[in-house]
Amino acid sequence: MTGQRVLVVDDEPQILRGLTTMLRGAGYDVTTAATAADALASAAAHPPEAVILDLVLPDGRGTDVARELRGWTEAPIILLSAVEDEREKVAALDAGADDYVTKPFGVDELLARLRAALRRGAGRADPVISIGDLTIDVANRDVHLGGRRVRLTPHEFDLLRVLAQNEGKLLTHRALLREVWGPAYQVEAHYLHVYVSHLRKKIEPDPQSPRYLVTEPGAGYRLVDPRSI
Amino acid sequence: MNRIVPLLATAGAVAGASVLVYALRPLAPDVSLGVIYVLPVMGVAIAYGVPYAIGAAVASMLVFNFLFLPPLYSFTLEDSENWVALAVYLGTGIVVSELAARAKRRAVTAEQRQREARLLAEISTYLLEGRRLEDELDWIAERTAEILDVHEAEIVLGKAREPKAHRAPYPLVAGATQVGTLYTDERSEPQLDVQQRFLPALASLLAVAAERERLAREALEAEALRRSDAVKTAILRAVSHDLRSPLTAIATAAGTLRNKQLALDEGDRGDLLETIELETRRLSRLVANLLDMSRLEAGAAPPEPELWPVDDLIRQAIDDVDGQDRVQFAPNDAPPVRVDAAQIERVLANLLENALKFSTPQAPVQVRVTTTRAEVIVRVVDQGPGIPSAELERIFDAFYRHGSDGSGAGLGLAIARGFAEANGARLWAESRPGQGATFALALPAVSTPVGIAA
Repeated sequence: MTGQRVLVVDDEPQILRGLTTMLRGAGYDVTTAATAADALASAAAHPPEAVILDLVLPDGRGTDVARELRGWTEAPIILLSAVEDEREKVAALDAGADDYVTKPFGVDELLARLRAALRRGAGRADPVISIGDLTIDVANRDVHLGGRRVRLTPHEFDLLRVLAQNEGKLLTHRALLREVWGPAYQVEAHYLHVYVSHLRKKIEPDPQSPRYLVTEPGAGYRLVDPRSI
Repeated sequence: MNRIVPLLATAGAVAGASVLVYALRPLAPDVSLGVIYVLPVMGVAIAYGVPYAIGAAVASMLVFNFLFLPPLYSFTLEDSENWVALAVYLGTGIVVSELAARAKRRAVTAEQRQREARLLAEISTYLLEGRRLEDELDWIAERTAEILDVHEAEIVLGKAREPKAHRAPYPLVAGATQVGTLYTDERSEPQLDVQQRFLPALASLLAVAAERERLAREALEAEALRRSDAVKTAILRAVSHDLRSPLTAIATAAGTLRNKQLALDEGDRGDLLETIELETRRLSRLVANLLDMSRLEAGAAPPEPELWPVDDLIRQAIDDVDGQDRVQFAPNDAPPVRVDAAQIERVLANLLENALKFSTPQAPVQVRVTTTRAEVIVRVVDQGPGIPSAELERIFDAFYRHGSDGSGAGLGLAIARGFAEANGARLWAESRPGQGATFALALPAVSTPVGIAA
């Protein structure tokens, strides 16, 4: 394996120990921290390629750590969150975290999220993006589904483009609104739900059970390749 | 009412006046002295009312005629002028007696009303102070009996009740609702005007007090309900956090062990298995804590005290916790205490577990024992961030968490205090923020029994 460095931040020693062993076993180079202060210090001393971050830390919020890290690194951040931390989770995602898993999580799930996050890197700048049967020509604002042209309104196209350029990544409602409609619309989540449902009618084989444009309840949306799951 | 006393008093007053007339005879004409009899008539009118006063006037006239007007010692009169004088005296006597009696009645009524007003004011003062209406009813009834001039009275709140034997019921009605019933003994009849004036006022006052109590009770119940909801939410949050952390550690370890694609060596496997063991123990401790908590709250954990050396209890507690290598304790032959060993070990173990969360190998937890005449005090001292003074008591509340970081026991300290108090011990926290926290457990000292004395 590549030996990419992953920083794991959690205040529960046994969770930290399990994650460390798991990640080392998967070939990563692991550094650990139990507090927000340690996490920032460790990240500065040994810049990680990815961060696994507990949302609740004894000396601060994971959200603040995510925001700090985002100030100087593009390394993907995966949150460890609990069901009842919904608001905090969305705040952390808005602050720059890339994805989350809910405790207790499956080992395979976390490893898959980590691989996907590392693969995505800084996002895609290709002029033409292919995801499953979807082909999105960013330069010409043209979309094809299985060779058939799909007509989209300008906002629908921008929504699809932003999601496609971040394939697999969870985008929060706020992030999508900001990217597509502009900073003034960051709280108008119902716009987004309406456009997502229009978009699904045009690109999903079965809009009732979407396979490309997936809802993350309470958090946001992500665009995935149905064959990669 | 007994009639002998007023009759005797009337006769006495008339006789007295006659003596006075006799004494004054050398100074004035006999006929003019008849005016002196107005005095007994007035006195009798004030004391016993108009009928006796009229009697006194007539008697005075007869006695005056008999004793002082010629011909003496007969009821006839020789001078017709004396007839006129006698008639004027009689008329004056009757009018004066009526006026005097009326003034007396007014004074009595005024005093009665004043008493009623005073009682009502007193009742309202008491009830406004927030006293319980039920507790005040006895003296209110007693004073009401005085006002109504009856021997006994009793007030029962609520709608009309069944009649009581030998009791006359008077409903206390305010507006359209019956607040309660006043029972008096059936032999004494309260005056009608007092009844009509006083009872409605009393009823209104009781109605206001009862309503006030009802509202206060409802507010209290609403508050209790709201708090019990808040407690339930806190419990759910706390339990779900305390359950999830070990579950996450176990799931991670087990998932890693199962995953064939991960490269693990023997050491890794040993570590993961140990994690599973440790976290399983933590889970079962949590379950035990929850059970202890509910048993303590139900009072279902009576201590079984026996004589134990404090040092042994501490050593046993240190053995019970994970991370005992970070605990420093030097036994120093502290005197024995009479406690339930299992419960006090739990207290100490919970204190140690709490302290160990803030300890490192460089900053270990210290256990110190001091002895006073009355108590053996065990102190568990950590070098963590300390506890703000505002939270020194609240940390003992079940499911209270220091700060909002979501970590920590939530139950351990509450259980520790519960068991400590059940064993007659005191448990408190001492801390200056930034200087670590100290938990002190004061166990009552035992006067060393003869035979064990060192």
